[in-house]
Order: sequence, then C-alpha cells, then structure tokens
Amino acid sequence: MSFLFTKYKNKILQGLYKNKDIKPAVYKNLKILEEINFNCSIYDASYVVIDTELTGLDSKGDCILSIGAVRMKGGSIYMGDYFYRIVAPSVCLRPASIIIHGITPKEASECPSIDLIMPEFIDFCKGKIIVGYCIAIDIEFINKEMKRLYGFNIQNPVIDLLKMYLIIKKKKVGCDAFVDDNLAMPTANLFEIAREFDVPVQEGHNALSDAFITAQIFQRCLPALSKRGINTIKDLIMVSKP
Amino acid sequence: MITEDVVKFLKTVIPFQFLKEDELIAISEKTLLEFYPQNTILLKQEGPPSDNLKIIKKGSVKIYAVSNTGEEIITDYRGEGELIGYLSLFSDNKSRVSVMTLEDTLCYIISKTEMRAIIDRHPNIKDFFHQSFLKKYLDKTLEEMHSKTLNKVSGDMLLFTTPVGMLATKGVISVFQDTSIKEAAEIMTRHEISSVVIIDSNAVPVGIVTDRDLRKKVIAKGLDTRNSICSIMSVSLIKSDSKEYCFEALLKMIRYNIHHLLIVEDGKIKGIITNHDLMMLQGSSPVTVAKDIEIQQTVDGVAQISNKLNSIMDILIKEGAKASNITKIMSEINDRILKKILTLAEKKFGPPPTSYCWIVFGSEGRKEQTFKTDQDNAIICADPETLSEDEETKRYFSVFTKYVRDSLVMCGFPVCPGNYMASNPKWRQPISVWKSYFSSWINVPKTEAILASVILFDFRAIHGDFTLAEELKRHLLTSLKGKDMFLLLMAKMTVNVKPPLSFFKTFVVEKDGMHKNKFNIKFKFLSPLINVVRLFALEKRIEETSTLERIERLMESHDTIRQMGDELKHAFEFIMMMKIVHQFNQLTKGLQPDNYIDPNDLTNLEKKTLKESCQVISRVQESIENRYLLGRLSG
Repeated sequence: MSFLFTKYKNKILQGLYKNKDIKPAVYKNLKILEEINFNCSIYDASYVVIDTELTGLDSKGDCILSIGAVRMKGGSIYMGDYFYRIVAPSVCLRPASIIIHGITPKEASECPSIDLIMPEFIDFCKGKIIVGYCIAIDIEFINKEMKRLYGFNIQNPVIDLLKMYLIIKKKKVGCDAFVDDNLAMPTANLFEIAREFDVPVQEGHNALSDAFITAQIFQRCLPALSKRGINTIKDLIMVSKP
Repeated sequence: MITEDVVKFLKTVIPFQFLKEDELIAISEKTLLEFYPQNTILLKQEGPPSDNLKIIKKGSVKIYAVSNTGEEIITDYRGEGELIGYLSLFSDNKSRVSVMTLEDTLCYIISKTEMRAIIDRHPNIKDFFHQSFLKKYLDKTLEEMHSKTLNKVSGDMLLFTTPVGMLATKGVISVFQDTSIKEAAEIMTRHEISSVVIIDSNAVPVGIVTDRDLRKKVIAKGLDTRNSICSIMSVSLIKSDSKEYCFEALLKMIRYNIHHLLIVEDGKIKGIITNHDLMMLQGSSPVTVAKDIEIQQTVDGVAQISNKLNSIMDILIKEGAKASNITKIMSEINDRILKKILTLAEKKFGPPPTSYCWIVFGSEGRKEQTFKTDQDNAIICADPETLSEDEETKRYFSVFTKYVRDSLVMCGFPVCPGNYMASNPKWRQPISVWKSYFSSWINVPKTEAILASVILFDFRAIHGDFTLAEELKRHLLTSLKGKDMFLLLMAKMTVNVKPPLSFFKTFVVEKDGMHKNKFNIKFKFLSPLINVVRLFALEKRIEETSTLERIERLMESHDTIRQMGDELKHAFEFIMMMKIVHQFNQLTKGLQPDNYIDPNDLTNLEKKTLKESCQVISRVQESIENRYLLGRLSG
C-alpha cells in the first residue's frame, strides 16, 4: 500500500515541477521510481551507500559538512567509483564536532557550497537505492537542502543498515520480526557492528571511509538476508526502510 | 582514499607488485570488492570459465576436481594475496576445476577485459602467467629478502656482479722468459716491485719470481745471475680469468693464502688485483680473516677470530651474495680454522705415529655451512703394520681428538649430539675398518645403516693424507655398484619427509611446544632436497659432495635431473638463503640461531617462491617413487 502511495505522491511532484527551471539531473530524480525494478533481486540491484558528517545533530541549526558515497551493484563494491565532497558550512563549526570529523573551519570554508554539491550528489545517486547507517538523520539533512533548493525531498528509495542488522540478529523469522518496534534502537554503533562483521575500521570519522565501512557491512549482510527470505528489493525496503 | 588501500595491497601481490605506482592506481580504480561466505562455490568444474581475475584479500579457498570415480581431489589451497581464475584469462575453455571458499572470503575483482589490457601493456606480467615461476622470480625474491633484512639496502652487489677484469687496472710488470736474472732484478728495483711475472713470446704468463726467490735461490745458493730467469721462477701461478666475479678471486686468495692474483684475458696478462682492491670494493675482506687465522699460534687466538666471523656473514649478505656463494666462503674459512687447529694439535702432541686423514661430513662435507654448525668429523688412519703401532696410534689419537674437539668448541662449533666425531673411537679407524663399515651399511641396509650413510657418505678430506680419503671414496663408489636394495631403502627414506605443498592454513607448522605455529625449514624443505640429490649422486656413483655440484654433474647423466636440474638449483639457493637470512637475523638480535620460521613473517613473494620450490622437490620425489617403489624394484 505504501508503495502505491509513494508512487502516487511522486507522480504529483513530477507534474508540479515539470515546467520549473531546475537542473535536468535534479529533475531526473523525480523519475527514479520508474527506473527501479522493485522485483529485482537484491544481488542485482544498484545501490549507493552514503554517509554524511554534520556540524551537529540539530536539523534546524546544523548542516552538512561532508558527503561520502560508494557505489555497489549487488554485493560488489566499486572501489574506484566513489563520491566525496567537503561542503562550506553555512553555520560556524563547533569545536566539539571538529574533534569528531577533523575538518577545520578554514579547510571547510575553502570548499564549494552545498548548492553546487547537491546536483552532483543527486546525479551520483541516479537510479540507485540509498543505503546508510541510521540513514534517517542523513536523509533529514539532505532533504532540508533539497527542500530549500528545489522544493521536494530526494526520491530515491532508502534503506537503513541498522534496521537490516537488527533483523539479521533477531532469530525469529517471519512477519512478526518486522513489526516489532520494541527492538532496542541503536545499541551498537557503526564501528561495533563493523568489528562484529570483521570489517577493518580505521579510527576517526570521515564520510567516505564510514560509507565504505557501511558498504562492507551491507555486503556481508546480503547472504544472511536471503537466508531469511528477503530476496527482492521490495522485500528489502519493506523491512529496512528508516 | 579507499583505493589507496587497494594499491597498498596490490603492492604485496605477485605479479602486481612489479608494476609502477601509477599503473596500480589506475588498476585500483577499476577494482571491485566482493564478499563470499564460507562454502561458496566460485567456479565449477566443467562450468563456464571465470570472467574475471580474483585476488584473495582475506580468507582462503580450495581448488579441487572430482574424478570419474566421484572422488574429490584437492589440488591446491590458496590464501591471502593469491589469485583465482587466471587460466581463464587466456582461454575460453570450461573450467577444469572447482573453487570453493573455506571460510568467509573477500576478493578484489579485476575484469577479464581489464586484465587483458594490463597484460598487453606489461610483458613481465605476461611472463608471470606463462613461465616457470622459480626461474623468473628467484632474483626478485632474494632482492626482497635482502632489503627486508637489512636497514642498509645495498643495491650494487659489487662482489658478486663485478668481473675481476674491471678491477685489474694496475699494470703488471712482466719480463720475457729469456731475460737474465740480473736484468729481471734490475727491472724490479727500478719499478720498486717485489715480484715480476714471466711471460712467453706470446705474452702468456708462465711463472712468477719474487724477492724471496732471489734471496733463497740466487744469493743463498750463489747462482750465476746471467742465468735465465726461468730457472728460478715458480710455475704454480695462481690466476683468474678477467670474466670471473670478484668473489671467485676472493675465494682463490683465501684458499691459497695469497694477496695478489694475476688476471688473464684470453690467456694473456690483463693485470693484477690485490686483497686491498677487493677490500676497497666492499669495506673489509674475508681474505684478511684467512690471513689472521694463519698467523695464530694458539687456540685462544683462533677462537677469538672465529667468534667474530658473523661480521663476514654480514658483509656477504649485504653484498647481496647468493646462498651458494655465502656457504662456499664460510666453508672455506671454517676449513682454515679446522686446519689451523689440527696443525696446532700436531705441534702440541708431536707428529702422529702414522699417516691419517681428517675428514668432515654432513653440511661441512657438502660445503654448505652457514653459521657455526655441529662438529661432524672423523679420522681415517693408515692400516697399522704391527700391534704396537696400532696401540700407539690409538693412544695418540685418543688425546689428540679430544683436544681438537674441545678447541673447536672454544671456536664456537658445538659438539655433535649424535657423537659423530673423531673423539668417538668408533669414528677414528684404520682405512680397512672404514671400508668394512661402508660395505656393511651397503650390504645390510638396516635403518641405522642408512641413517649413518646419509651422514657419512658426504665426507670430504680436510687435512693430512688425502690419498686415504680418496681410497675410501673409491671403495664407496665401487661398493655401490649393483646394490639396488640399498638404494631402494635409501629411496624409501628419501621420500619419507615430504615438503608441504600447500601452505596456507595447512602450512605444516609445529602444533605445540616452543616453536608453535612455525615450520622447520631444514627438516621440511632443505633436507628433502639434499636427500634426493644425494640419492641420485650415489645411484650414478658421483664423487662430488656439495648439492649444487652434484646437481651440476647429474645434469649430464641423470634423466630426472637433466629436466629439473635448473629448477632444483634455484630451489636450493632460495631455501638456503631463507635459512641464512633467518639465522642471521636471530644472531643480530642476540638469539641462538635455529631453523624455525614463522610463516607470518614471510612476504607473499617469499611464500610463493617457497611453494614453487616445494613443488619442484615433490616432483622429484614422485619420480623416485615411480621408479623405485612402483617400478623395477617393487617387492
């Protein structure tokens, strides 16, 4: 049901923005749901695994500082096909966050603004399903910029690695597992999950290396997903949308 | 950023490590990373060929085929840094084997199209896929080993790559053979030289005259100085061809205890080189050590020099010497120490009552000594004429050999745990007893007999009456004729210890004890190789004792070695070098050298070369099994 609804909403958006003056790459994002075959096997689908570094967690006052993304097709990670941009922030960098991401105010101020980066990013995500760890936060910040720049949200289907992880960890197989909302939410952080899957972790946060770590965890989750009867993109979105 | 890790990894993978950085960066950008859970089938026998090259980043796979009878035959294990699917790069035939992951495995993937483009651009990558690994990569592995071991990387390897001709720039003063003694002496005075070379009318050197000759043969004897210089020259002129490498010249200088060596080119004098020239080349010289040993008058003195010999090893390894060169020089120096000790013993106890020959065996006998190895020695005496002579001989050598044994211990050579030493009465016997020892081992080949012959048949004379050793050698070689049962049992023992074929995961390491998770390079790798070569040498009745010399000779006469000789030589050099470098590193860390190597300390290239070396040894072992144990001698 929700699929139909999303598609319907998307159709309306397409109509609304048809004659607006927006970049073709951005407009193309409105057609993405037509490009994706939801019955496609999770091993054949195209993904873009993303991570962002933020100036803080308040979506009103904070903003995106960097975006990292890695391309995948099925279980293959394209090592050379990645996206990494540092963004000139619209707000001041707080010392506490500088410690986490290691990007200095000077470094950031010399980078292009998010207005220039968004079209590139949308183009990189073209035709792909977005995957990320606790992706809701990243999407919230991306959508804030999308709304401001273009008036609509990013249209790519989105799946959350943490949701996926919790399903795999849950022994019970079947529909119940998917509706149980009492699952303890973020107990494990990205690095802990990475260690559990034997994915090498380098200390320090960087949007690209975190995206690459996320991609490697996702890669290792795929076989476990098909064991639990999750075979198509539709199945995967059903259980792990944020 | 993430491709940097790919580049870093590819630098450890053969053959990619032979590519330049920018090429690796280009490759890394086209690479995929894939994950396969345990028990994933990556390729299926009779299935389509692989459409890419997989490089194992982490994990391991087994390669196997199922025979007509349904039996699964594992042909190989591959681990980190090894490749899957490279045959498919060159052919579109169905896959001949199946490949399955043994654990969760990560691979970097390079597409067939991309790989073919790389191969087209780089002939050396093509070589890797097409040619014998050992031959091609031995040098690279050794180079890597040298640079890994040493902080100071010496790229020039002067001693072993410079022909002596290059150094022999000093003009040599020579006189024709019809010159008079007086004229020659005048020439020597004019040039302020202490020796002059005598040449014939074709400029071929025929002898040398030194100040000493003038003193001893002319002045002291009142010889007429109008006589031809030929009458007083020494004809045993030691020379090297200008094409020989400096280390060979060095070896001659050590062996003959000389400081000047004449260099000839096409038979004519080219120049002269001195110990000093070689020292300039490398900083210090083993020749000096040989000389130092020579002048010692006490065991203490010899011991002092002997215990400092590791510095020579240091030079040799840093010079980039091949293992065979290192062992040659070290054996030569050890021989000198032993000879000196024996001379000192003779001085101490007076001349021996009978003629004798001091022999060494084991690695000493094969001239394959590296660091201080256990004493392996014995005495062959002349057969005594009378009972009293026999008793006196026994008495003399009983004291003599204990003195030699203890002196050698002082010089750093530990006693032989198996008591294969001349101080053991069993191993100091008249020639006739030795002959009967050898005959009985060959005629009644019990296990102990074979064990003893493996050790003793590699004997070599060091000091004393060499004819005794030669006689025993002749006896040994004649006795072996037609003794198939002895060779059969030796063959059985030879193939008993098989070198490990697949290292990864199943790398044969010690399961417990202080050498847990390490492998014994001597027992598992070096001895099996030495043993197969010894078997063939005895089979063909070849008198050489060193493994490389045996292989060289066998290549003329032995079918298996004719085909595999070169590969065996490479394998021997490599394994020996690995042992030397390992022990050298232990010594520099102040540890007691042993033969236990941790496979984790090896680079992928070293692992690969070791694996290839093992395959060569086991191919030879297979040929032995086919011939001896299944063929004509079955039963």
